[in-house]
Amino acid sequence: MRNQVFGYHGRLLDINLSTGKYSSTTIPSDDTEKFLGGRGLGMKILWDRLRQPGINPLSPQNPLMFMPGPYSGFPIPAASRTCVVTKSPCTSPVHSDYPYASTVSYSNIGGFFGPEIRFAGYDGIVITGKASSPVYIVIEDEKVEIRDAKKFWGMGTDLFDRQFIEELGDRRFQTCCIGPAGENLVSYACIIHTASRAAGRGVGCVMGSKNLKAITLKGSKMPNVADHKRFLSLLEDSRKGIKEVLHSPGFSLLNYFIIKGTASYLSWSSENDQMTVNNFRDTTFPDIGKIGLEAVQKDIWFRESACYCCPVACKKGGAVKKGVYAGVVHDAPEYETGTMFGANLRVSDIEGITKVIFEGDDYGMDIISAGNVIGFLMEAYEKEYIDKAFLDGIDLRWGDVNAARKMVAKIGKREGIGDLAGKGVKAISKKIGRNSDKFAIQVKGLELAAWNVYKNIGMGISYATSNRGACHQNGENVEVQNFRAMLDSLGICRFITYHSNSDVPGSGKNGLGSLLSAITGIEWTTEKLTEAGERIFNLEKLFNYREGFRREDDTLPERFFTEPVKSGPLKGKMLKKEEFDKLLDEYYQVRGWNPKTSEPGKPRLQKLGLLPT
Amino acid sequence: MMETENHRNEKQDKPTSPSRRDFIWKMAVGGGAAILFGKVGDKLLLASENTKQTREYLMVHVDYSKCTGCRTCESVCSSFNHRQVVNRESLLGLGNPFYSNIRVHSYNPDLDIPAVCALCPDAPCIRSCPVELDLKTGRKALYRDEKTGTLRNDPNRCIGCGSCQEACKIQRTDVIVLGPDHKPERICTLCDGDPQCVKYCPFNALSFAKVVPEREFYGLHPDIISKKLINRWYNTRE
Ligand code: SF4
Ligand code: SF4
Ligand code: SF4
Ligand code: SF4
Repeated sequence: MRNQVFGYHGRLLDINLSTGKYSSTTIPSDDTEKFLGGRGLGMKILWDRLRQPGINPLSPQNPLMFMPGPYSGFPIPAASRTCVVTKSPCTSPVHSDYPYASTVSYSNIGGFFGPEIRFAGYDGIVITGKASSPVYIVIEDEKVEIRDAKKFWGMGTDLFDRQFIEELGDRRFQTCCIGPAGENLVSYACIIHTASRAAGRGVGCVMGSKNLKAITLKGSKMPNVADHKRFLSLLEDSRKGIKEVLHSPGFSLLNYFIIKGTASYLSWSSENDQMTVNNFRDTTFPDIGKIGLEAVQKDIWFRESACYCCPVACKKGGAVKKGVYAGVVHDAPEYETGTMFGANLRVSDIEGITKVIFEGDDYGMDIISAGNVIGFLMEAYEKEYIDKAFLDGIDLRWGDVNAARKMVAKIGKREGIGDLAGKGVKAISKKIGRNSDKFAIQVKGLELAAWNVYKNIGMGISYATSNRGACHQNGENVEVQNFRAMLDSLGICRFITYHSNSDVPGSGKNGLGSLLSAITGIEWTTEKLTEAGERIFNLEKLFNYREGFRREDDTLPERFFTEPVKSGPLKGKMLKKEEFDKLLDEYYQVRGWNPKTSEPGKPRLQKLGLLPT
Repeated sequence: MMETENHRNEKQDKPTSPSRRDFIWKMAVGGGAAILFGKVGDKLLLASENTKQTREYLMVHVDYSKCTGCRTCESVCSSFNHRQVVNRESLLGLGNPFYSNIRVHSYNPDLDIPAVCALCPDAPCIRSCPVELDLKTGRKALYRDEKTGTLRNDPNRCIGCGSCQEACKIQRTDVIVLGPDHKPERICTLCDGDPQCVKYCPFNALSFAKVVPEREFYGLHPDIISKKLINRWYNTRE
């Protein structure tokens, strides 16, 4: 007899900013059993609340959700992640009946926010409505307060981070905020936590549309676990297991790449022709020695930071110690930021890169998209699609970090050219016209990231089939995609599974499932978990399909099929369209989706419990 | 007027501001005797203990250069010291850091300062406690556990005035938290001699070693430590 739901509080905090009212809503246990939490449960709530397609993502109706998972709050190593789920302001299909058609967006953020949501007594926070003037939300267990944020509006995320905590007078609060980019509705604005951890891919724009500067919380609660003793012993095992992997002399992705931070990918990726360089035209960066791991380590890093209960600490902070940018204090360039503001713009000045990363984070914009947008504009300028006047007088040349900084400021403020540039490459190329969309490197309207696809068609599949638009984290095949959708829904960090790409070290063969079984009292096998991942991925797809996204949207920018790599070992190589199409056919087949339309097939949906039987 | 002695008979590196109250608390930590002065009626009374051997207390030390702010220490401390009764069996709790006796204060630029009781030889927290000395035990409501040197509260005698919390906050590490009844809580217990935070810190930032008041940053408020370290390491902001 079990009438208590273990592992969950079973309730959401629902806040309506239009009315200022809030309530706690019960989560049906069927939902947590099917969709876990995080990305999955967020998707289910989005599906339930947006009942028709075409709802404007920037309208009060669009819910903005902060979703921890069933692992969150427990001291499971690296169970630190939270998903922000909402309808995307960045994406659009080729054809649709609805002017505001867009995909789901989910964005994963590390740090301490998700665990603290659970400490406050909730399995998620759902924000709807729109405040009439800027506000922030303070939550302390049951107590919820909406306060005036006028004095913080317009403030960069770094200064805000320092001043807001003074205002609260208590360092135990965990906060997510937006910067000017979010306030000004830059479509790829992000949400920032601890001044440098970011949830990107457009979620900050939705937060800005609600006039919500920040949300902060702390709490004293904790959900119960079903089998306390089993949980404790699994916890102990996984701590030991991870320690072993981390301190073993042998090679593992976990102890090599992750302990050195993602910056360790910089040189690796360039040496292996997988880097985004020169607005994706090249795959290797001649100046990589100046911005790669050694340079970053030598010139910038000196502190490591870890997320909640994480033994890895992939976040490397530091400061610029010399040169014109001396005194800049920030996270050192990591793979995405270092590539998108570095190699992609052919900038080889590590100090300048650190400065522009700081500024991007301070404005609160997604640096993947911003670097992609600036790369696109640099190419358009080089090819004379646009002139200096179009760029408000900025001489936007390759390698010029100051020109890039000026663009970042324009975008953050949505000033002049920044107004257009703040809408993403798809919108800019539409405006410029003349087939410039060929080198607008986006899928479904979302910009590609720092992994190039010329050598790695699997990465191409990842970008093309992702449910939020171009996403390098999506996975190169169905199996990996389902696995990651599940991880994003548990609240654990992907990096911790890197030693084998399958489980939490030390927790046994079915480690993830065993932990969840001990927590929830429901037996979770690996198969059942992966099936949950598949269910989640399919519900996202159903949502997108309803909006009008079809097979024609699951593609890659034309560049990769028609323009060979310009230089380096891959020179002359490009992707073969037939090969890509074949892979996509296979992909749909494995998914059980219609290969012509990409519509999810009934039998599979039925099996996943996504159709009424 | 205040005299401080510690186990090495050396002066504190940081002078302690005189107590607001009329009490003098003098204590030779673990020295031949614990001499306790307290105000009882109008007379000063002396209570002594017969422990002859010198005792050197141990505490949790932090290497701030290694701390990553992961808060594993908070979680394991909470588990151990805030246990949960499951089927009438007392088990480790689930580790909400809210109940931890060590608390990591995070700053921007990135800097994490775990704050933990320093086992201050002069214990301003005890000195500020207005509850009279119990003549038999030589204890106020807040007292030192002779064996470990940790601070304990006698909830039966504590009046919940919060003076100890304020004393620690103003003069030292700010580790005392007042519970719902305003009685002091969450002061390091040293976990029956097996500090969990030290054992589980994934970055070896913590150690269990002798109380050394001369040590840099000993007994300081995390805000003060952070200012100094930010200045030293980042050299950009105060
Ligand atoms: S466990 Fe160690 S590294 Fe983590 S916060 Fe505590 S002292 Fe710092
Ligand atoms: S650190 Fe605070 S609680 Fe601990 S002995 Fe010193 S004053 Fe008392
Ligand atoms: S709160 Fe209790 S222990 Fe603290 S000073 Fe007051 S009476 Fe003493
Ligand atoms: S020694 Fe024990 S009680 Fe003290 S801070 Fe560490 S874990 Fe907590």
